[in-house]
Amino acid sequence: MASTQLSDEEIFSELKRFGFTPGPVTENTRPVYLKKLKKLREEQQQRGSRSSKTRSSGSINSTAGDGSTAASRPVSPDVTHLSSSRRPGRKSSVLGFSSDESDAETPLRRKGLEHSSKANRSSGFQKQQKVRPLPTHNAAIKVQYGGGTRLNSNFSPGSDGQRSVSLGWGVGARSSLDSEGMHYDESADDDDCEDETEKNSCSLNGRGGSRLNNNKLVGEYSDSDEEEVGGFGAGERERDGLEFRRGHRIVPFASHVVERSSQTEEKNSEVKPLGGVNMVKSRGEVEAEDEAKRRDLDPSGGSRSNRVPRKSIYLSLAENHGGKAGENNHVDSEDGTSRSNSTSRFSIGLRPRFSNYSSLSQTFRDNHSNHTPAPNHSYSQAVLKKKLSVPEDELLQQFKREELASSSSFSAHYLSMFLLTAACLFFLLLGLMYLRMRGTGSSEMDGTIKSHPFGSDFDSSYNKGEKDVILKLLLNLHDHLAFIAGQHDCGDQQHPNRSLSMDEASAYLLTQNKEFEGFIHTSLEWIIRTGQDLGIRLTGQVADDPVTEVSEISRLESTHPKMPFQCRFRRAFLTVIVRVLLIAAVVGCVWSVVCYMRYRWRKEEEETRHMYDMVERIIDVLKTHGEAYQENQDLQAYLPIPHVRDSLVQPQDRKTMKKIWDRAVNFLSANESRIRTETQRIGGADFLVWRWIQPSLSCDKTSLMPSKVWQGKAFPLDRRNSPPNSLTPCLKIRNMFDPVMEVGENWDLAIHEAILEKCSDNDGIVHIAVDKNSREGCVYVKCLSAEHSGKAFKALHGSWFDGKLVTVKYLRLDRYHQRFPQAQGCSTPLKASSLHMSSPMNTARLQYYGSANSSGFS
Amino acid sequence: MTSTSQKHRDFVAEPMGEKPVMALAGIGEVLGKRLAEKGFDKAYVVLGQFLVLKKDEELFRDWLKDVCGANAKQQGDCYGCLKDWCDAFL
Repeated sequence: MASTQLSDEEIFSELKRFGFTPGPVTENTRPVYLKKLKKLREEQQQRGSRSSKTRSSGSINSTAGDGSTAASRPVSPDVTHLSSSRRPGRKSSVLGFSSDESDAETPLRRKGLEHSSKANRSSGFQKQQKVRPLPTHNAAIKVQYGGGTRLNSNFSPGSDGQRSVSLGWGVGARSSLDSEGMHYDESADDDDCEDETEKNSCSLNGRGGSRLNNNKLVGEYSDSDEEEVGGFGAGERERDGLEFRRGHRIVPFASHVVERSSQTEEKNSEVKPLGGVNMVKSRGEVEAEDEAKRRDLDPSGGSRSNRVPRKSIYLSLAENHGGKAGENNHVDSEDGTSRSNSTSRFSIGLRPRFSNYSSLSQTFRDNHSNHTPAPNHSYSQAVLKKKLSVPEDELLQQFKREELASSSSFSAHYLSMFLLTAACLFFLLLGLMYLRMRGTGSSEMDGTIKSHPFGSDFDSSYNKGEKDVILKLLLNLHDHLAFIAGQHDCGDQQHPNRSLSMDEASAYLLTQNKEFEGFIHTSLEWIIRTGQDLGIRLTGQVADDPVTEVSEISRLESTHPKMPFQCRFRRAFLTVIVRVLLIAAVVGCVWSVVCYMRYRWRKEEEETRHMYDMVERIIDVLKTHGEAYQENQDLQAYLPIPHVRDSLVQPQDRKTMKKIWDRAVNFLSANESRIRTETQRIGGADFLVWRWIQPSLSCDKTSLMPSKVWQGKAFPLDRRNSPPNSLTPCLKIRNMFDPVMEVGENWDLAIHEAILEKCSDNDGIVHIAVDKNSREGCVYVKCLSAEHSGKAFKALHGSWFDGKLVTVKYLRLDRYHQRFPQAQGCSTPLKASSLHMSSPMNTARLQYYGSANSSGFS
Repeated sequence: MTSTSQKHRDFVAEPMGEKPVMALAGIGEVLGKRLAEKGFDKAYVVLGQFLVLKKDEELFRDWLKDVCGANAKQQGDCYGCLKDWCDAFL
């Protein structure tokens, strides 16, 4: 677009032709209006009409206007380029997963421009946005198989990996036949399917699609290197699946899933009881047939599960597969190896889509290996491993990995919960068993005691009967003692003593069995002889003495008390609880200590920050006071510390800030060299005061402001705001300085220089006079001729100088001479001094910057 | 306008007088400095530009962006501030 040739008026009229009433087109607003014009034109073009770029009436541009706009014109293309370059950046950001900000921004700004190109992208973008919260494996899958068939690409638009595969499968088949750009159909379908209300249609889609696809799969399979599909109708295969599912509910964990799936089946079934026929048939089939069947099982299962509420879809799907896997395993084990062949070969996954399910079933098989029968599992694994040499195994591996991730992400929750509960139950059982074992002991009271710890001597010394008797005696004794000890430990009041005296023991044993009488001593001897702990401790008269002779024995005690189960459990429970509480208490203590430390540390930091803040404020106050003192010697050079505090800190904060204040004071006295702490007597009372002892630096403030530079033009000069021709050779320039603010001695010379610089192309300035006392900052300039003054006028009028807008007026020559009689004789043009030669570059640059516009200034 | 900042409210509360350009809502130190360099050192100068653009939102925002690089939020704040001020005082 030839924007550079459009003048202001042309832009104005062009915009008006679009029905848009613009404001004045000036230096500042030009780029804005150019953009608007562009936009309007493009909109118009899109509407189908061509906008002619006829220039309207030949515009009469004043020379002044031309001169100024020429200067500004180089800016506007740059500006538009800049803005247009900024736009693509935003556009491209929309393509990816950009943030919402740029989304909100772009529609606001450039709706028309990106209209058509964005349509596709935005819908795709929204699609992706929807997909994004879903498992990212979809994207990964898509990436992998991006180069693959169209069917594969169905993964990404799908809402959830598993379900959409089945759906997209059907949908994608159709789309693959259609043209390439059916992306929206797929997404539309998937959109539909995301709603629960439309599940039926979705599943129908899936089902119909599956039927559709089966026929098409034949063709597709023939294209690829894969084995051919048999000619089974989809319906039969589905029925097979149903049969399989219904018939086998062996796997316990999948049973409830199976029931659920079977429930759904019953609800929506079109089942025909082909059952056995199909099973037989399938058994005898070629692998491909089984494969195809397997394939149909999965998607049909998937489509079926669409009807289940959404959340459980994942579970049911996942566990459907698991169930199927389990069932398949069992079926295989029942029906022989053909099934496992099929599953394994299937799991190799000639069609990547189906390897999805296979890998899922794989994972479930892996996960629940403890439930599946071992031989089948290992067999299928072996077969699987053998078959992995197929070239596609790499892809499969990757696919499986992602599928693992996906399946785990789906069923992770349920799986982990299940495993957790299983583990807990297991440990609980274990503990109970242990307790029970320990508590009850072996019940071989009357059985012959085979093993004894007495060694071979024992066997040799006595004959069998005696041995039995002795051993039985010992067992009885042991049990009785254990019982007593147990009772005692459990708090039973009947047995105040844990141990049994010799007499009591003998009496008990005699009551048990008359035969024991003779053997009591011998058995006790044997106990002493063997050094092991048999569960009976023999204590002598004096406690803790090792007993060597039977006669020394006075008391017997059991070392393995036998307690009733509840007692045992209770004690164990209490112990555990106590220990746990102890640990918790310790952990709690440590954690609270850590928290406290952190809190303290944070508090410290904050306080230090406050302190530094306070220090800075004090320094500021003192500095200003010091400077005020320098200007006005009436004040005191120092400030009492409490006064400073009271001026800086609010009354309500004084108590809370006291600590910070003190720290600040200490900091200042220690670290600040510009402030001296003294004690002074003020009004009869002693005060600690601060004195600012740094001599005031020469205004660092004023260095910030641009001093004495030209800053560009406020408005272009054209007919409206300047006289058409220069009237007189004399100019009065207003608002170049503020006499109050000026410091230094030679600032008027600086102004001279500045004017000369500005009009450096103009060789006609002969006299400059700065009226130092004028409130308006007037400068009088005389030129050689009206023409020169006209040029100077154009250069100066409406420019910014030192932050002030400069205005120029023509003065009558005689008035000028009245005022400045010395100017009458001047005829040599003044030149800017060479000192300022370096800065003209800067000022020249500044002149070309766009600047403010004030309307109607003269 | 859902909610306005304190700066906005302060600005719209009274005639702007000689307030610096940084008193405008959305214009902070950096932007204010840039505007001042271009010559818009007082708020009324920016008001002038706003009025020249006929109080058109899009044009003013574009212009503001071009002149000092304000982002969308800053543009919106400034525009809203000036608009409200005009509604109140103009």
